[in-house]
Amino acid sequence: MTDQNNKHDTHSPLNAAVQHPIVRLSDVCKTYEQGKVRVNAVHDVSLDIQHGDFAALCGPSGSGKTSLLNLIGGLDVSSSGTVIVDGIDLATIDGSELSEVRKNRIGFVFQSYNLIPVMTAYENAAFVLNLQGVDETECRDRVMATLKAVGLEGLEKRRPDEMSGGQQQRVAIARAIVTEPAIVLADEPTANVDSHTAESLLDLMEQLNRQQGVTFLFSTHDQHVMDRARRIIQMHDGKVASDHAQAG
Amino acid sequence: MNIISLASRNVRRNWQRSLVTTLAMAFASTIIIFYGALMEGMVRGSEHNAVAMSSGDIQIHAKDYRDDPDLYKRIIEPDLLTHKIRDAGFRAAARIYGFGLMATDSSSSGVQLRGLDLQHEQEVSEIDQHLMSGTWLRNDDSHGVVIGKKLARQLGVALGDELTFIGQTADGYMANDIFKVRGILKAVSTAIDSAGVFMPEESLRELLTLPEGAHEIVVIRDDPTVDLKVATQEVAALAPAYEVLNWQQLMPVIARFLETANVQTLIMMIFTYIAVASVVLNAMLMSVFERIHEFGVMKAIGVRPWQLVRLIYAETILQTCIASLFSLGAGWLIASHYQKHGMDMSALAGDISFAGIAMDPIWYAYITPEVLITPILFLFILAALAVIYPAIKVALIRPLDAIHYQ
Ligand SMILES: Nc1ncnc2c1ncn2[C@@H]1O[C@H](COP(=O)(O)OP(=O)(O)OP(=O)(O)O)[C@@H](O)[C@H]1O
Ligand SMILES: [Mg+2]
Repeated sequence: MTDQNNKHDTHSPLNAAVQHPIVRLSDVCKTYEQGKVRVNAVHDVSLDIQHGDFAALCGPSGSGKTSLLNLIGGLDVSSSGTVIVDGIDLATIDGSELSEVRKNRIGFVFQSYNLIPVMTAYENAAFVLNLQGVDETECRDRVMATLKAVGLEGLEKRRPDEMSGGQQQRVAIARAIVTEPAIVLADEPTANVDSHTAESLLDLMEQLNRQQGVTFLFSTHDQHVMDRARRIIQMHDGKVASDHAQAG
Repeated sequence: MNIISLASRNVRRNWQRSLVTTLAMAFASTIIIFYGALMEGMVRGSEHNAVAMSSGDIQIHAKDYRDDPDLYKRIIEPDLLTHKIRDAGFRAAARIYGFGLMATDSSSSGVQLRGLDLQHEQEVSEIDQHLMSGTWLRNDDSHGVVIGKKLARQLGVALGDELTFIGQTADGYMANDIFKVRGILKAVSTAIDSAGVFMPEESLRELLTLPEGAHEIVVIRDDPTVDLKVATQEVAALAPAYEVLNWQQLMPVIARFLETANVQTLIMMIFTYIAVASVVLNAMLMSVFERIHEFGVMKAIGVRPWQLVRLIYAETILQTCIASLFSLGAGWLIASHYQKHGMDMSALAGDISFAGIAMDPIWYAYITPEVLITPILFLFILAALAVIYPAIKVALIRPLDAIHYQ
């Protein structure tokens, strides 16, 4: 499962000086219609995510965090407004280009069951690189380095069912960052692990953010997790209620 | 990680289900291979019986003889014609026929007398090998006859018993003579079984006062790979004054039946495979539904729909390959066992015949490349068709729905 690697270097940590925001949302709305009920899951949201951000999307259940992440990640299309990711207006591209954007420019960490059960940690982490067609030796170097960086050295051959929830999330993070995406989107990445594990996952993300310049946008309910973010985007009824920096 | 190893891991993941699917395919194609080999064996056996026991490849008659077998509708100078035919690369033997009544003390039956040129007859037929009891005709035993098995039963005669012939000579006088039963044939065909009386040509000529000519010349290709139609034309060119027909024209019902035997195998295969297709379809659908979340994640991180379709196909084809290997092995083993030893049907069915041609009570299978390959080819087609729907399902999964589907 490989195809052409058309990833560009514009978002590598070395290009931190590039000034355009990685994500730019302008007047984005997402309306769901369920029967006769219309739900404004995302309502007139405008915000930028800058390179190097370590931002948390917070807010009560149903406030639109997941919906917003899905729009940014190109998993869903907005009802109105523009979503620009890494310079690309997602509304202007078709499904297969969207798939390319997800593969090459975005890293995803889901809440749980991120991994392909029949693949080892190594193979899961290498999965997207394989899709991109990165050659084997380079792939091996990058995956081994990344697994080491997420603290999984020596566990490369483990299958997901042979790892703890925290270890599985580390593999998911490794898979997300090994392609050096413009941004890593994580929807409640710590919701299914205990608080101790959550803490260490956050340590990892923060370290990757500081040392490798990986941009993170993650949603959370958890006050401890929020406290670790350097930017807090508070959502309420689909709107951004507040957006401020804090000392991480 | 390449698609084959991913597919094979997925196949092993729910190995019970994969095993059931694979076994269903393997079992069905084994059955079809075996069935096909049996049909092929039956076709070859019947063809052999039809051709080798009486009809030969090609027959020559005087025009109209077959519609009205009159003693006088003869082939003139048959020796000349058979020589020409032999020189052209065939084997040939002349026969003469007569009709009348055979009687014992207690019963009688209409018979067809068959006068054979014993020396050449054995070059064109195997009927002399087909005795149930007794011995074959001999030129020095002018009143010895070999008769069909039903006729023997009907007349209540055994080897050594006497038969009285009553009929008419060619010139219209009464013909009658006494013959001794030397041999009784195994089942050959309805006509021979219930009315056939074989004797040396000379004896029959004498009985009927028929000094010359023949009613039939039987021709066999020396090289059986020569096309039958071509051979028929060649012989026809040598005997322009006569009717020249090959066995397929002489026995169109049998020829048609044998030609359509592979269609019957095909129909049997299609019905069996439809049942198997539903197993494959169900199994693949189940395995797809179980993995919706996983496929959703894969799509979210950049896997394209066609890549998932390819994966589903790889998984199916992998199982089909295993099933094929199994059924090729098992089908070949079973079929070759029955090719060697045959299946004794006599206890089950007694005399088997169709369209007037008797079958050997031992039914032999016969393996040809088509017998092995066709079921396998169709198995792949079946699997490919059965998995279209699951594959479409996978292709259409929206990552968003799938990720939240657990
Ligand atoms: N597919 C959908 N169809 C209809 N309504 C939806 C759909 N997805 C989300 N919604 C609605 O949109 C609103 C926002 O949902 P969303 O999942 O984005 O909230 P959230 O902040 O992620 O909540 P949680 O913290 O529970 O995950 C909710 O009212 C939800 O019911
Ligand atoms: Mg949510």
